Amino acid sequence: MKLIRTLLTLGLVAFSASGAFAAKKPGELKLFAWSEYVPQAVLDGFTAETGIKVSYETYASGEEMLAKLLSGGTRYDLIQPPDYVAEALIKDGLLVPIDQTKLKNFGNLMPEYLHMPHDPEQKFTVPYMVGTVGIVVNTEKVTEPILGYRDMFSAKYKNRIVALDDGRELAVTALYVLGKDLNDFSPANLAAVRPILAEWFPRIKLFDSDSPKTALLNGDVDLGLVWGGEAATLWNENKKFHYVLPAEGAHLFVDLLAIPKRARNVENAHLFIDYILRPEVSKLISDEFPYTNPNGPARKLLSAEQLANPASYPTTTRKLDTFRHIGDVGAAIDALITDLKNTK
Amino acid sequence: MPDTEPMIDLRNVTKRFGAFTAVDDITLQIQAGEFLTLLGPSGCGKTTLLRMLSGFETPDVGSIHIAGEEVTHLAPYRRNVNQVFQSYALFPHLSVRENIGFGLRMQKVSDVESRRRVAEVIDLVALGGFEDRMPHQLSGGQRQRVALARAIVPRPAVLLLDEPLSALDAKLRHQMQIELKRLQKHLGMTFVFVTHDQEEALTMSDRIAVFNQGRLEQLGTATDIYHQPRTAFVADFIGEANLLEAELLSRDGATGLIRLDGGLEVRVPLSAWPLDEPRAILSVRPEKVCISSAPVEGAQNSFEATITEEIFQGAIDHLVVRTDAGTVFNAVVANESAMMQAFHEGDRVWCGLHYDDVVIVRASPKPAGVAKP
Amino acid sequence: MQTLPGVNPENPHARRPGLAGWLLLAPMIVWLLLFVVAPMAILLVYSFCSRDDLGRVVFSFTWSNYARVFDPIYLQVLGRSVLYAAITTAICLAAGFPAGWFIARQRAAVRNRLLLLVMIPFWTSFLIRTYAWITILKSEGLLNATLLAARAIPAPLEMLYTPAAVMVGLVYAYLPFMILPVYGSAEKLDNALVDAAHDLGAGPVRAFSEVIIPLTWPGITAGVLLVFVPAIGMFAITDLMGGAKVAMIGNVIQNQFTKARNWPFGAALGIVFTLLFVLTYLALQWRGRRART
Repeated sequence: MKLIRTLLTLGLVAFSASGAFAAKKPGELKLFAWSEYVPQAVLDGFTAETGIKVSYETYASGEEMLAKLLSGGTRYDLIQPPDYVAEALIKDGLLVPIDQTKLKNFGNLMPEYLHMPHDPEQKFTVPYMVGTVGIVVNTEKVTEPILGYRDMFSAKYKNRIVALDDGRELAVTALYVLGKDLNDFSPANLAAVRPILAEWFPRIKLFDSDSPKTALLNGDVDLGLVWGGEAATLWNENKKFHYVLPAEGAHLFVDLLAIPKRARNVENAHLFIDYILRPEVSKLISDEFPYTNPNGPARKLLSAEQLANPASYPTTTRKLDTFRHIGDVGAAIDALITDLKNTK
Repeated sequence: MPDTEPMIDLRNVTKRFGAFTAVDDITLQIQAGEFLTLLGPSGCGKTTLLRMLSGFETPDVGSIHIAGEEVTHLAPYRRNVNQVFQSYALFPHLSVRENIGFGLRMQKVSDVESRRRVAEVIDLVALGGFEDRMPHQLSGGQRQRVALARAIVPRPAVLLLDEPLSALDAKLRHQMQIELKRLQKHLGMTFVFVTHDQEEALTMSDRIAVFNQGRLEQLGTATDIYHQPRTAFVADFIGEANLLEAELLSRDGATGLIRLDGGLEVRVPLSAWPLDEPRAILSVRPEKVCISSAPVEGAQNSFEATITEEIFQGAIDHLVVRTDAGTVFNAVVANESAMMQAFHEGDRVWCGLHYDDVVIVRASPKPAGVAKP
Repeated sequence: MQTLPGVNPENPHARRPGLAGWLLLAPMIVWLLLFVVAPMAILLVYSFCSRDDLGRVVFSFTWSNYARVFDPIYLQVLGRSVLYAAITTAICLAAGFPAGWFIARQRAAVRNRLLLLVMIPFWTSFLIRTYAWITILKSEGLLNATLLAARAIPAPLEMLYTPAAVMVGLVYAYLPFMILPVYGSAEKLDNALVDAAHDLGAGPVRAFSEVIIPLTWPGITAGVLLVFVPAIGMFAITDLMGGAKVAMIGNVIQNQFTKARNWPFGAALGIVFTLLFVLTYLALQWRGRRART
């Protein structure tokens, strides 16, 4: 039975490969994506099925992606921007509209992740994975309840905290505490944010965006402001790591797939997006990177345990906010963070 | 100089490097103002002995006194001795003047005093005009003088010289030998001079200490060492010698009849013959072997021989003669006049040996293969 | 730098390179043009430009990036980077000089084995070695476990993510770059020169300051440059072992090209930074020349 299926698959692959070859060369796909975000199995599966070679280049932050994309070195076919970066790219006309007629699996996406503020007409992007930024608590060490940023950054946890090394994420926590809009970085708001962060920074033991879970796992810290996916991995590792969506407010980030203007293989990019949207492929991504999966039928394939992971699928009644493009205020935030780290 | 206290007093000094004994139980006194040479082949322990005097090595056994003070374990910079290094060891980053003044600066001698003494020494070694040169701008001979000046300017009790002339060419070396000797007399300083060059040792020294395999073979004046070597090694190492194994046949008062290698029988004085030993070694300098066309007058031994080889060397003729009994001698004759009768290969001649010219010596162990410099 | 026989700078026999010389130099010159001169030129141009809101470089002349470099924030960051680098260099010199000297004084066989030990760390990636240090220093790490087991400490020490950890990382990373040039100089130094100094009445301290230091000065200079210059710009160690808490000039520049997307400002920082290196180098050169005369 298994053998027959294998043979069938092989035959199918051979057929599709030769068929594609007969029509035109299968060609390649230059994918530019987050590091540790696209499972190798997915890339291999896509190549096996279509014959399209995928070259996978990675970045560690949306800003780094933007920098490399705009420098125009490589002509990427498919990129994976976070929502607010995509918004900027759309605004500057740097993306190719996505032809939804070519995506027969588009309907799998859950409606709440479509027509979001970064792409209201849903013309340029397709959601890949969704996540939140929240607080991880090592409940073996921290016994008092941690409900929000104020609790977490309290003086009693001095040197027990890891935070994302990301100026905007840090500034947003203070905006929430002040009850301000998380996308409003007016000079007045920036000035108001400063004293709060100045008070909190000396209590933070380390800043790490790449792998904040490491310090928590190593026991160097007991509290962390981390990406939801990292928190989910920690939960899978040990149930003592609880995930909390902060009471003052939390934000949702959507990582998208989009096709840059200078792409050479637009057709292949569409093929890849459609492949990703298949429930069984999307499940593979969830298996390896436990973020929130926006694909309805894919979620149905997940185990009860996966769905019960509070960091992957946090239960909240509150509407979560999203980041918007904030223009060159980023530089001001960077200067603020540098200064705060400096005067500490 | 029997009544004066020695400048250097070495007692039972032994130094080992692992299993190798570099200096083996040396006891030696050196008098103030003496020019003493430590002579021997490389690896004989002479340099190690010098390094123990300067303080770079410490003896395993024994004691060293310099100028009445025990210095056996004293650091080099606390000893009132200075050394002229074989490689000169001039500081490449300092000028001639700074090199020479280095020792005075270390002794915290005042600037004025230091300048005066440096100028004086520069004068003494004829380096005027080179004060501001760097060492690499000097010739070998000039560097040698700087090294010498640098070592004498602090007025040490003893000056140690470690083969200081070996890097110079032959002509310059001869010149420096004479200069060094003159300088030593002028300063009245005790010089301990290390060399492997026997000619250098004979030219300059008041006394010579001949070393072999870490042991002191003989201590004496140049003439003593040359004419009365006590061991085969000394006889062989200093000058040239016919060394022949000898067997005592019969005694007759102060003299005896011996048979040499090859079978020749001669009569020699027995004062130096080792007691209870049937065999010993006879040493004769080549120039003491008298060659004549007639029986040699006044010689206690006279025998017929054939010249088997002749090497013309200008002032002298070097001959190899074989006696009828089969014993071979090297001989040297002066080429006094071109008119005079010369000897040639194949000539029949008479050889003569005077009692005074044959020396009975002890056998020495051959220098070992493993050598430690 | 002292001049040894045979490398006389005023050597009248030194010739200007002929055609063959230029041909031999050509690969080097091309390499320098492509990977040093051209990038520096681009950096220089960028440093006078500005950015749009996506972070793209806009070619319009401005001094504002340089004005921002001299903002107290960045001067402070630079000051701290220099301080950390200086401490690193001082520790490396204090530890590396004796090590290099000791190795140079050994027999050839022992010497080669010791040199190999110095160079073995280079066989492993720098990042892996830094992670190894994290494993050693973390709260539940090797060092704390050992100390706890030996009952030397009552509770785990907080070692990781402290300035001390950054120092450990920096010294560890750069120590070989001090040892090797010092070794190179010390190995060439004739032992007889040290003996001569002692012989002339110089105790260990005087012999060290009057003879050993001046004669190993080229090695010391090279070591100081090889440690100090990269230590200023280092950002990976401060991020990984210091917890990104204290900003170093390297982190700030890296940020400008990634997170902050402000290439012109990053370029201006880079240019100023490079000038600083050149000045350091000239200062050492000057000190060397003074030492010689």
